[in-house]
Amino acid sequence: MIEISRVSKWYAEFQVLKDCTTCVSKGDVVVVCGPSGSGKSTLIKCVNGLEPFQKGEVTVDGVSVGDPKTKLPKLRARVGMVFQHFELFPHLRVVENLRLGQEKVLGRSREEADAKATALLERVGLTAHARKYPGELSGGQQQRVAIARALAMDPICMLFDEPTSALDPEMISEVLDVMVDLAQEGMTMMVVTHEMGFARKVADRVIFMDRGEIVEDAAKDDFFGQPRSERAQQFLSKILAH
Amino acid sequence: MFSNFDWDVIARSLPYLFLDGMTFTLMLTALATAGGVVIGTLIAMMRLGGLPVLPWMAAGYVNVIRSLPLVLVIFWFYFLVPYIGQWVTGASRPVQVGAFTSSLVTFTLFEAAYFAEIMRAGIQSIPNGQVAAGYALGLTYWQVMANVVLPQAFRNMIPVLLTQTIILFQDTSLVYVLSITDFLGAASKVAQRDGRLVEMYLFAAAVYFVMSFAASSLVRRLQARIAIVR
Amino acid sequence: MSYNWNWSIFFEPSPEGVGTYLNMLLIGLRWTLVTALFSWIMALVLGSLVGVLRTLPSKRAQRFGFAYVELFRNIPLLVQMFLWFFVLPEVVPRQVGLLLKQMPGAPFYTAVVCLGFYTSARVAEQVRAGVGSLGRGQRMAGTALGLTTGQVYRYVLLPMAFRIMLPPLTSEFLNNIKNTSVALTIGLLELTARARAMQEFSFQVFEAFTAATLIYLAVNVVVVTLMRVLERSVRVPGFIMGK
Repeated sequence: MIEISRVSKWYAEFQVLKDCTTCVSKGDVVVVCGPSGSGKSTLIKCVNGLEPFQKGEVTVDGVSVGDPKTKLPKLRARVGMVFQHFELFPHLRVVENLRLGQEKVLGRSREEADAKATALLERVGLTAHARKYPGELSGGQQQRVAIARALAMDPICMLFDEPTSALDPEMISEVLDVMVDLAQEGMTMMVVTHEMGFARKVADRVIFMDRGEIVEDAAKDDFFGQPRSERAQQFLSKILAH
Repeated sequence: MFSNFDWDVIARSLPYLFLDGMTFTLMLTALATAGGVVIGTLIAMMRLGGLPVLPWMAAGYVNVIRSLPLVLVIFWFYFLVPYIGQWVTGASRPVQVGAFTSSLVTFTLFEAAYFAEIMRAGIQSIPNGQVAAGYALGLTYWQVMANVVLPQAFRNMIPVLLTQTIILFQDTSLVYVLSITDFLGAASKVAQRDGRLVEMYLFAAAVYFVMSFAASSLVRRLQARIAIVR
Repeated sequence: MSYNWNWSIFFEPSPEGVGTYLNMLLIGLRWTLVTALFSWIMALVLGSLVGVLRTLPSKRAQRFGFAYVELFRNIPLLVQMFLWFFVLPEVVPRQVGLLLKQMPGAPFYTAVVCLGFYTSARVAEQVRAGVGSLGRGQRMAGTALGLTTGQVYRYVLLPMAFRIMLPPLTSEFLNNIKNTSVALTIGLLELTARARAMQEFSFQVFEAFTAATLIYLAVNVVVVTLMRVLERSVRVPGFIMGK
């Protein structure tokens, strides 16, 4: 579904991504982890073209992201993204947040969009908050709305950029639960996160990045059982220690 | 139009424009800035001081001046200053003041209201801990202000103060309403005398533009450097 | 003080034949407000466009926006007025120039256009700051949903930016009202001009200018109050300004 092939990216002189190659097959859940500055957020933003890249290729469901002829809005409509800081639209009510993409990008009618929004809000457990503004919700609630907003577009795959990093500890599980459900239903997911418990539960593969390179790319059991590279081992031992 | 653009009229009047006109403009700008900053700082201190009545008076002054067009204030002081002079000196009739004095008083007091707000923001941006530390050392209120708060406030607000000066520089052109010969006034006189409005006004616009743009570019660069240091 | 106060001057007829002096001032006020309103509408439209241009990723758009703003910011307003009023009719084709010079109400139209452009540059800066304060996250979230750039501005960025900008925009609107006084130099009979005329006809300097001062203050209070009402009605619950 997602193919990343020899992607390199520079910010001026500084190389942020170095020759990254990996792929995410349909139905797979791939977790990307690594220290800060390793380029994992940047890599995931290359998948839906939010970050341009200078070398290499990224293909989503056969569509090339880097090709100038590709209509990016159409592609992005099919790829869902969830951000670290939720990024709900503060001037719109929850249900309006869910409706905006459906109506303006997919061209759905108000009734269709509403029906979808209601169903999704129920799924993430937030029906009671439909008419509230994002500013009135807690972090965990906002993030669940953000996931619902992405799902409202009926995406073929979902990208998560450190979805729980900005949350207070007691709210992390409510968001992870939604993500676990999603994974178990067979959604193709690429998740940048430090939550190794989540990875152990539902990931098919784990990718470890350091300083712009993909250092380790292994099946879950292999990764947690016997990581091959020293850097991955050090990283794991540090985050699993607490 | 541009086929008979008279460059010569510009060239001929350059000495008059710059020696008479621009000198006036720059002097007025410099003096009004100096006076305005000093008075503005005092007004800001009055407002933040905590004594009775003074904050109210200071706020009143600032709010009234900032609600009025500069043109109106120019007229106000043009007529008012002679009477104030009479009151201050005890003369029997309103004191005749020159155009320069009148406009200097006007611009100093007008801009003081704006500088007051800038300095107020600057003073308020200094953390309370600084003031507390000053008092803890045994300094008096005036010592704390003069040695601890104002130097820092001033330094923080330099870019904003400079920008306000550039605005002042442009505002001085309004002395035109009193027929005073600043740079624009000089250009206007030449324009009307020689019938060359297009050339003179375009030239005046160009000169103001170059000077203001250069000044604000310098301020921008200064701001960038301060940001890095912080 | 050797000045003769005469506060009843306002009810005496003015030599212009439009009624009392008070009437004269109020007519001036009307010109002030009408000029300010029309130029403000122009400034909002143009300024928003240019402000948006400055926030677009295109380098050409940014450079144009920068040039536009710098042009109108670095030339004094009075000089700009003169350019529009005296220079423009000379540089356009002769027929158009003649039309401009003979047009009734030329000071009014010139003032509106001049102030429109002048204030639009300041509005543009406010729009740029407003959109900029939203951070990259909002723009990314909109883009990630598949919205085009135009849609992102229309549905995500600008609605919030305008709410954030209401206080500084209020200041700009008040500045615009004050700036109408500069047009007295090209013959617009607005409030300050009328006060000056009243002073010249009646010699009651301080009454005339006090009245003008009080009127400007009153306008200020009314505008600020209206803006506060507007701010409250569009406030987004739970949103704290700035992240």
